[in-house]
Amino acid sequence: YGVAEQNDVLSVNIKNEPLKEIFKTITNSSGYKFFYETSEIDLNKQVNLVTNKVHLSELLKELSASSDLNYKITSDQIVVTKKIVSKNVIETINLRSTAQIQNLLKGTIVDESGMPLPGATVQVKGTNIGVVTNFDGKFEVDLANNVEIIVSYVGYKTQNVNVEGKTTITINMVPDAAALDEIVVVGYGTLSKKRVTGAVSSISAQTIVNIPVISAENAIIGQVAGVQVQETSGEPGSSPNIRVRGSGSISAGNDPLFVVDGIPISKNLTTLGIQGDLARRGGNFQAPPVNPLATINPNDIASIEILKDASAAAIYGSRGGNGVVLITTKSGVASDKGVFSFDTFYSTQSVANKIDLMNAEELIDYTRDARNNAYLQDVQGASVNDPIGPGDRGNANYELPLSFINWDGTDTDWQDLIFKTGYSKSYNLSYASPLINKTSYHASAGYFKQEGIIPQSHFERYNLMLNLNSQLSEKLNLDLRVAPTITENQRQPGSAPYFATPPGIVYSALVHSPTVKPYNTDGTFNQTDNQSHLGGGTTSASNPLAIIDAVDDKLFQFQTRASLGLSYKILPELTFKTFGGTYVNVYNRDFYRANSLLFREATEGVSYAQASSSTEVNWLWENTLNWEKEFDVHYFNAIAGYTAQKDNIGIKQVQADNFPDDLVTTISGGQVFAGNSVREQWSLVSALFRLNYSYDDKYLFTGTFRSDKSSRFGKNNQTGYFPSFSLGWRINEEDFMKSIESISELKLRFSWGETGNFEIPNYGAIGLLSPNNYNFNGNEINGLIQSTIPNPELTWEKSQQTNIGVEVGLLSNRIFLLADYYNTITSDLLLNVGISGVSGFQTTLQNIGEVKNEGFEIALKSRNLVGDFTWETDINFSTNKNEVLSLNSKGEPIFSSGQAGIRHITRIGDPIGSYYGYVVDGIYQNQQDISNAPVDTQAPKPAPGDLKFKDINGDGKITPADRTVTGSYFPDYTWGITNRFGYKGIDFSFLVQGVQGNEILNLTSRHLKNGEANFNSYAVFNDRWRSEADPGNGKFPRADRLSGNHGNNARPSSFQVEDGSFVRLRNMTLGYTLPANEALGIEKLRIYITGTNLFTKTDYLGYNPEVSASPNSSLTPGEDYGAYPLTKSFTVGLNLNF
Amino acid sequence: CSNDFTDLAPISNRNEADFYNTENDFISAINASYAGLQKKGVYGRGYWTMFEMRSDNTDQGPDATGLARVYTEINAFTEDPLNEQITAAWTDSYSIIANCNVILERIDNVTMNTDVKQRIIGEALFLRSLMYYHLAIAYANIPLQLTPFSVGDELTQVDANTVLTQISGDLEMAEDNLAVSYSGGDKGRATKGAAATLMAKVLLTLNKKSEAEVVLRRIKSSYGYGLLNDYANLWGAANENNKESIFEVEFISGGIGQGSSFTNDFSPSAFLQTGQGFGRNRPTASLSNAYENGDLRFAPSMGTTYLNAAGATVEANYIRKYESDPPTENDSDINFVVFRYADVLLMLAEAIGESNEAYDLINEVRDRAGLAPIDASTSSTFEDKLLKERRVELAFENHRWPDLKRFGVAATKVNEAESFIPQSSVRSLFYIPQREMDLNTKFVQNTN
Repeated sequence: YGVAEQNDVLSVNIKNEPLKEIFKTITNSSGYKFFYETSEIDLNKQVNLVTNKVHLSELLKELSASSDLNYKITSDQIVVTKKIVSKNVIETINLRSTAQIQNLLKGTIVDESGMPLPGATVQVKGTNIGVVTNFDGKFEVDLANNVEIIVSYVGYKTQNVNVEGKTTITINMVPDAAALDEIVVVGYGTLSKKRVTGAVSSISAQTIVNIPVISAENAIIGQVAGVQVQETSGEPGSSPNIRVRGSGSISAGNDPLFVVDGIPISKNLTTLGIQGDLARRGGNFQAPPVNPLATINPNDIASIEILKDASAAAIYGSRGGNGVVLITTKSGVASDKGVFSFDTFYSTQSVANKIDLMNAEELIDYTRDARNNAYLQDVQGASVNDPIGPGDRGNANYELPLSFINWDGTDTDWQDLIFKTGYSKSYNLSYASPLINKTSYHASAGYFKQEGIIPQSHFERYNLMLNLNSQLSEKLNLDLRVAPTITENQRQPGSAPYFATPPGIVYSALVHSPTVKPYNTDGTFNQTDNQSHLGGGTTSASNPLAIIDAVDDKLFQFQTRASLGLSYKILPELTFKTFGGTYVNVYNRDFYRANSLLFREATEGVSYAQASSSTEVNWLWENTLNWEKEFDVHYFNAIAGYTAQKDNIGIKQVQADNFPDDLVTTISGGQVFAGNSVREQWSLVSALFRLNYSYDDKYLFTGTFRSDKSSRFGKNNQTGYFPSFSLGWRINEEDFMKSIESISELKLRFSWGETGNFEIPNYGAIGLLSPNNYNFNGNEINGLIQSTIPNPELTWEKSQQTNIGVEVGLLSNRIFLLADYYNTITSDLLLNVGISGVSGFQTTLQNIGEVKNEGFEIALKSRNLVGDFTWETDINFSTNKNEVLSLNSKGEPIFSSGQAGIRHITRIGDPIGSYYGYVVDGIYQNQQDISNAPVDTQAPKPAPGDLKFKDINGDGKITPADRTVTGSYFPDYTWGITNRFGYKGIDFSFLVQGVQGNEILNLTSRHLKNGEANFNSYAVFNDRWRSEADPGNGKFPRADRLSGNHGNNARPSSFQVEDGSFVRLRNMTLGYTLPANEALGIEKLRIYITGTNLFTKTDYLGYNPEVSASPNSSLTPGEDYGAYPLTKSFTVGLNLNF
Repeated sequence: CSNDFTDLAPISNRNEADFYNTENDFISAINASYAGLQKKGVYGRGYWTMFEMRSDNTDQGPDATGLARVYTEINAFTEDPLNEQITAAWTDSYSIIANCNVILERIDNVTMNTDVKQRIIGEALFLRSLMYYHLAIAYANIPLQLTPFSVGDELTQVDANTVLTQISGDLEMAEDNLAVSYSGGDKGRATKGAAATLMAKVLLTLNKKSEAEVVLRRIKSSYGYGLLNDYANLWGAANENNKESIFEVEFISGGIGQGSSFTNDFSPSAFLQTGQGFGRNRPTASLSNAYENGDLRFAPSMGTTYLNAAGATVEANYIRKYESDPPTENDSDINFVVFRYADVLLMLAEAIGESNEAYDLINEVRDRAGLAPIDASTSSTFEDKLLKERRVELAFENHRWPDLKRFGVAATKVNEAESFIPQSSVRSLFYIPQREMDLNTKFVQNTN
């Protein structure tokens, strides 16, 4: 018939042929099948159709115009329906003529959030009169003396509405219980939600886009039961800490596995120095790595699924032990109209809370007090009235700096100087294509920039993404995804102590005396008359402004995810899929510390530069066979697969110093003195199998099995097997429940499974030799020494989890409750087991020990109000108890040094990485108190006002044996409440988040709360003990410059452990959606303002009650040693669809 | 296929399974044992806290809180078995011993140049003995491990005499194997003189004076050492590996992890141009007073005042032997002199006992210091005079604590210099680190 296919277009030339012939022609040339109800359509009707080179959709439009039929393209089918007979189809309404119509009803159909629903069907009951709502969700219909209308829309409950006596109406559609039919991504496939038997939490794109955030993880803070997202740092581009159901591992990492569009991406950077740790900073004070997931544009995300229990995560076998986060990006739409989206926001940020420090007068008083107390205690016949100037008392620690005695009125607020208002801006443009020639795609481009609150720190991201899907033939489908990203960080040493190199900016500002002027009279930074030069027993620190100026730390990251999936339908129910993916990550870091910075009291600057780069190429090949079959009451969905994955990483580093000046700041400007290049690999081969079976959608079963063989494991132990099963019972489907209409869903779930953690070092099972070079007479020579003991038995950590869950939906699921109890035992922990130093080693890597995580989670969703005014509430609440069950063969505790010596213990019966030290038991009020108390062997000469410590073992004296657990970073429980309100186009929501029972090890107490007054201090020390008659608030000891020689108050103790519980107004958003404007082609336009971290209620003295200086170290969590503060922000944004 | 796919060998590290096969492998391995000497548990820090600061020569200095407390405790005899410094001393010393054990066991079966093989065996025996000597002085009751340790091996403690007897024999073999001196890139390796000096020290500690005398006379006559004319020329990076030097732990700056931190550790605060001075290991008044008037060793050894950044004069005792101007904090060129010839002369005097020859030896050292000779008529006992001479000649060189023990005067001398430490507190042994006690349940803790 002269039909020709040219690219995406068809040419048809048909005259007086029956309709069925046209269908056949189109099917043959385009591959689309026609789907229709034979009884409704006269296939033999003669039609004419002559078109030249048009898209299929246009061709169908033409076909429709000349008949009483509607054509709709849905995935690979063309659905043919009869047009509803109506004189009032909205497109043809002439508004002036409607006045003549009797009994006219005008109305608007909106969704549960008040958004207009275009395309909803309104039918007058008992007639064949019906209309479809227009672009604005509006309709007009002639009731023809009837009083009831039927409103229907896909995915929503069909409503019968009595409209007697009304001329206008707004109808709120309620999502159908069939919303349970929503599809959930479960790893290597999808499953209808009602058939899911594991603990899986889903987060929709809406939730993510509604809150303007840098990275997807931030969007789920406080929103998902059992998933704790901690913002440990406010640095632009920093990585939040995600823990799914607690922490099971001591040394193999506790981050969940992230799977982005099928490509597993590990955030556990076991390879040290992937981003180029600074060789001259010292291992303990490395800045936390930037977030590899910050490369994902939140706007591109279609959904996030979190596989929480072992049943769900077992399909990822040896990597599922910490839970799995599945991120799926957006695809094209199966409609006949493409959608452009433009999303943008602008946000200002400021420090969330300033720390309350002493002002100059308070500090001078405190310092004087500390000097006098030391002097009076040590020197016979000393008087408080003795001159206190330099040299007057024979020891600087008894004396005051001159600038304190003759205070010139300077009262610098150093925090104000180092913090500014930062901003961020985001632009994102995307296009979701219609289905053209069986091909659809989603394309997006994004740009994000954030200026941090510390000058010069910033983060920029450039994203491109293309997801393309094409039905190549009736049986063969192609899915291509490419997402290149560039991120650029300008980092600042915001989070390190004042004595690190380079010194921490924030900490240097906190310890700096307010009596010091920040600038010299000529406007340059005061580095020669600052804290370092106060004298009189004060400690030195660099000028924080000079640090900001002197450090240039650029991190460039190029990351690409790319994948190609081919699916072939062997049989209608049997599909074979081959999937190849790759993940490429290139880091480049250029660090420079300028000569201009005088380190503490140094009088000459020391320049240093380091260039580091790492390239990681990770590829994956998966072959899966999927069988899905439904017959009678039986539903089967089975998948079997074989996968291989390999990772190659190379790290290079060059260091230079002796830069003559600060003009050239790259390596070439100085003298290269060191460099290295390291390459590592790992590989993994796996077989996997999963069966979902459901009987009558009532009894559900899932069984999973995976075997993993990894290069990381020891020769004798390379293959691991990970089984799981789960059962579900949808009680509401039982006959005896059918009568109870208020219960729309009642599902019981039980699951058991075993997962693993393969994040052990790449060559942990092999005895490695490391360079240990020496020099003879100034010439460097090579030395090699065995650095690890081989362990051919080394294997993954195993987690066995049992989960019991219940899902309850009430009132057509207007109220939906999810509750889960779980118990996870992680065994064969990867531990550096201590061995006698006589061996030449201190530890050997072994699989030993057990940790338990046990918890309870509730998630409640409630649509409190529907109608014009909508109100929804989401509540989540989780508890988790972490407990070490066993360690090495003798059960000895592991003592761990964080950033300031041994202050952590991991021991049986307590959580991993608990804080460890003496316990403060009040303050000695008088000499009598001291005599009555157990002798403190750790306090050379305690005096009234000093801290009294507890005799834990009851042996009548205070010894190191009295150190015990003083707290833990693990909260007792966490919760979040989101409320959303909608009225007309206005939406308002707020999220309140709470964490209870976590403690922070505030190491800044070592300086800002030490009683020695050798720095500036927390203002709380104004309420210190001064005398028995003036004991302050009872929490703070006396000031004493030489406490180490007297009460030794600053020893590691509960005094430095603070309650980190908080309640936070995490987010508050007000938005307005303008009515759609067809004339301008605007489908949706929403503007909003958002406030983030607006208010936090906490007793914690530092900036951030969730801080953790070494987030990757399970053994030393929760330390605060000068962190980049958390920010609060105000955002204005816009979402536009057209 | 999958076997190959998951069988990945390290790319950027050597694998011990295919090491220890060639001459070069063993040279690299023995070099790593020398490198171990730089570690914080050994010469880098541990030994000066335990052999100098422990004694009456020095104290921790003004910084008594925070991380400095572990040193304060060592100075004041208040440390407990958890003390990180004594733990590091144990593990870092044994790390060198373990590496030498592997070398000594594996080298026999490897074909290589005989001279090189002899030398490496000698070096391994010397370095292992050097560590065992320090461990025997510090802890006394230690496992004497002479072969590679396997995970699960049972360890037993032996007493100091057993350890010292073993190493005096090992050192004889080391002295046989090693060269008198080296040239070029090998200058700095252990020599006959180094092995003999350590052997003499061990024999003196075992109270085998006549055997020690034989060894010391051999050093004097055969190995070509001599005193430098100017005591001040013993110190500073430019003067390293000189005629008087017998063995040094070599450090170089340059940001390659081989710099020493002595300058930063010992210099008083606000003294350095590029970094922090901690003012640790601070000379006591007692030591300062021990120098006679006109002793040319005083000024190069210690200072009593310094100019701070503001240009003001500050009074403080501090060590000067390791002064330098490191380009970066804790990255100095300064070596640590383990043995030098003046010690040999004084040990020989000790071995011979009171006699004209002994006084002559002492006077050779005094003469260089610009001091008048002494003899039997000079007041106080021979032992006191000898010990005092050793104190000022060898101050801050980690000899004082072993000397005090060998002369049996530790408690009285420490209490004299640091009155806040009662004699009853002065323990002659350090505690066995708690981690070793925990891991080896049959170990008995040192209690005295």
